[in-house]
Amino acid sequence: MKILCLSFALLFAASTYAQREQPLPKDLPPFGPEKPLRAPEVRKTKLENGLTVWLVPRPGFPKVSFTLAIVGGYAADSQDRPGFSQLLTATIDQGTKKRTARQIAEDMQGAGGDVNAFAVRDAIRISTSVLSSKTAEGLAVLADLAEEAAFPDNEVTLAKRNLTDQLEQEETDPSFQANRAIAKMLFGNGPYGAFSPTRDSLAAATPAELRSEFARRFRPDQAALLVVGDFGPDQMLFLIRGKFAAWRSPSSPAVAPASAPSVSAPRAIFIVPRPESVQTTLAFGASGPHRGDSDFEATEVANAIYGGMFGSRLVNNIREDKGYTYSPSAFLQSFRSAGVMRTQADVRNAVTGASFNEILYEMNRMVTTSPSDNELQQAKRNLVGIEAISLQSNDEVAGELADLWTRGLPSEEIGNYGRKVAAITADEVNAAAKKYFPAARFSLVAVGEERVIREALAPFGLPMVPVP
Amino acid sequence: MTITRRLLFLLFFLFVILPAHAQEWRPPTTLKKMPNGLIVVISEDHSAPTVGLCISYGIGSRLEPVGRTGFAHLFEHMMFEGTPIAPKGIFNRVVESGGGFVNGNTDNDFTQYYESAPVSALDAMLWLEADRMKTLDFSPKNLDNQRNVVEEEVRANVLNQPYGLFYIFDLPQKAFDKYPNAHNGYGDFKDLDAANIDDVHRFYDQYYAPNNAVLAIVGDFATDEIFAKVEKYFSSVPSKPTPPRADVSESPQTAERRVTQEDNLTKVPALAVGYRMPARTTRDAVAGAVAGELLHNGQASRFYQSLIKEKQVALSINGGLNLNGAGPFEYNGPVLMISFIVYPADKTQDQVLAAYDAAIADLARKGPSAAELDRIRSKMRADWYSNLELPVSRAQALSHATLFDGTYERAYSVPEVVSKVTADEIRSFAAKYLVKTNRTIIKRVPKPAHKSAASGGDQ
Repeated sequence: MKILCLSFALLFAASTYAQREQPLPKDLPPFGPEKPLRAPEVRKTKLENGLTVWLVPRPGFPKVSFTLAIVGGYAADSQDRPGFSQLLTATIDQGTKKRTARQIAEDMQGAGGDVNAFAVRDAIRISTSVLSSKTAEGLAVLADLAEEAAFPDNEVTLAKRNLTDQLEQEETDPSFQANRAIAKMLFGNGPYGAFSPTRDSLAAATPAELRSEFARRFRPDQAALLVVGDFGPDQMLFLIRGKFAAWRSPSSPAVAPASAPSVSAPRAIFIVPRPESVQTTLAFGASGPHRGDSDFEATEVANAIYGGMFGSRLVNNIREDKGYTYSPSAFLQSFRSAGVMRTQADVRNAVTGASFNEILYEMNRMVTTSPSDNELQQAKRNLVGIEAISLQSNDEVAGELADLWTRGLPSEEIGNYGRKVAAITADEVNAAAKKYFPAARFSLVAVGEERVIREALAPFGLPMVPVP
Repeated sequence: MTITRRLLFLLFFLFVILPAHAQEWRPPTTLKKMPNGLIVVISEDHSAPTVGLCISYGIGSRLEPVGRTGFAHLFEHMMFEGTPIAPKGIFNRVVESGGGFVNGNTDNDFTQYYESAPVSALDAMLWLEADRMKTLDFSPKNLDNQRNVVEEEVRANVLNQPYGLFYIFDLPQKAFDKYPNAHNGYGDFKDLDAANIDDVHRFYDQYYAPNNAVLAIVGDFATDEIFAKVEKYFSSVPSKPTPPRADVSESPQTAERRVTQEDNLTKVPALAVGYRMPARTTRDAVAGAVAGELLHNGQASRFYQSLIKEKQVALSINGGLNLNGAGPFEYNGPVLMISFIVYPADKTQDQVLAAYDAAIADLARKGPSAAELDRIRSKMRADWYSNLELPVSRAQALSHATLFDGTYERAYSVPEVVSKVTADEIRSFAAKYLVKTNRTIIKRVPKPAHKSAASGGDQ
């Protein structure tokens, strides 16, 4: 079996025992000279039809990663079809004018890849990673999906049924419940309020809607193709022109980027009852900065000190000191026009109240205490390093470029993040902490045995209500 | 597109494609064995200013003591609880402030510790790994703390989750008969509670020795410099006698085994099927690895096409050889080919199994077509390469292969080995091993009271 010891280590990071810090062993060798992250050299082209093409040749490792990013994800779904993008991405590879669903799967498998289509809040992405020797085959399937997806009736019927059952399954997962409730608390019915369908939205969706929504969103002037791996750029561009040059945008208006939503949640504890739970999943969410905001990097540093690193205050407190939980996590979610601060921990029922108390304490301690020099340096070095080790593989680089393009940011932002983080001062961290970390700002969600939650959280004096 | 351009396109295409088939991808790699028995494998990779490091120890859950289920994993946590000169917290603090992360995991057949970081942190990480190979803090207080953390881990991943990973943890317990293969490697709470600091000492003395470990390092450095550093930090770690390996072989299964379980948390029924597999070093095992992928790998797979698309009796199906471990090529004892199938509540177990058995019967009768075999070879080659792309995951693959074989060769030869498996070998593998008398089935059904509360609506 594979057992993760310290799971999601990437989300955490390190300031172990900041407040009673051990000296380092005297023989421990110092860190070597820094080798800065080299931003990839991106060859940028725009085809005549408006398709953005970014190529990053990386000779050696014999695979090529493709990501096609399209403007308009869950935030572009209509109010009466929440989560529609999930059905769209589940069916986009289930038949084109040329290929059946089975042929799509087989052709891609023969190239060494899978079709990976998914929606995020602001975009839809289709990606695959194929053998360098099968680049043309993989690209042919990708182009076929982008230009000629057909949404056959029988495939849509099957996908609707299976996604409805999948939703039934997901709703038994406490993390899914927590994520869904936090999004609802923070964004209501606004563009960022849903990332999954409802039974009603699935039941009402039709193949005709899928076809028209596909036609609205999938257009070359609203798309970028990011290609990273072992290829010659001239040959690759030739291949891409061959497959994509005939693609045309309609004259109808394109999907507009989501506008910054208003965020206001009532001060209460929202309970999602989950009978038979042996743990309570405690989830906290509040508005935060998003990438591009001037205090985004300072808030990332503050979050690393608070709970983002494995050696952070929160992890030291409720895991390494008290043993209440296995994998508490704190992270920032960044959408194109909104940001969210998140904290989450699964704790055994008996320590639900104690854990809740410690999390609020650590949030407020960020507001009232400055980070030590060591905490600050560790957090900054950690975030700079994490940027480097998060951009090692072709897929990771393609995904990051897709994310930057979706936000309207230049590819040169890779590496800039690290430089900005390295320049953050203690004053900037304190300012971000005072602005974003007061515990009273957070919406609170508890998933678990309702009786346990009500008893344990009663002393905090907040109204306890169901998720609306 | 005009005719001329079509022709150009075609010519160009042939030109580009041909050379790429010519040779296997094989990054430069060197192996050295130190006088204390530690094997060191190093692979230079200058594509990013980073390093991945993995130490695998030749002890996993399979060989943990009777009455101490879950101990190998609990012990793994103790490796992060400090040493006399680098107390609890130092290890993480150093690696994380070096810009990286550290983690570990416990497999049936090894326990691995790994770091991924900017290369500037490599010296410090090597020093820390050598330090905890010499001794530990052995603190009863930290043992109590990590016992709590591990129990929370089991709650979070098993007890509080729908299905509770029953296809990972429960299936081998039913499918095998000998304690090493048939116990719960995550641990029963009574065994975790009974573990004491003497157990920690004993386990460390028996298994955590340089002569029972492989250190692999992949990244942006010069190989010779890193060998010199490894020698500097690790040569003073003494070797230790390790216990002779227990006989973990099973006597053959003679009848199908079926179990039904109730699930408090799920609303959708599921099945797990496990077939006992031949020993890893046999040719049958390679045919089994390919058969497992033909049946389970992606939407083009036989089970997906048959159960989900054609007969529509399943919602999802995942599986393969050694699904509950490090995959179809990395194990060192009895393993299963596992299928985990979630199916709609309006279908019956018999309907699902009828479709499942028909897919297997077809493979056992006709074997794969030439086109199908060609596709799965490409897919397995691509998947295996991906397994070697990140420095830290290449370090893991190199260290596992070397731990089992004494050489890292298998980490690079899997695509070639797979390409030599024939359709007839796969057919005869299926006919011999994918039979009812060689399998165990667990049916996992929603607890009845819960099923009716299912339609709770959306929030």
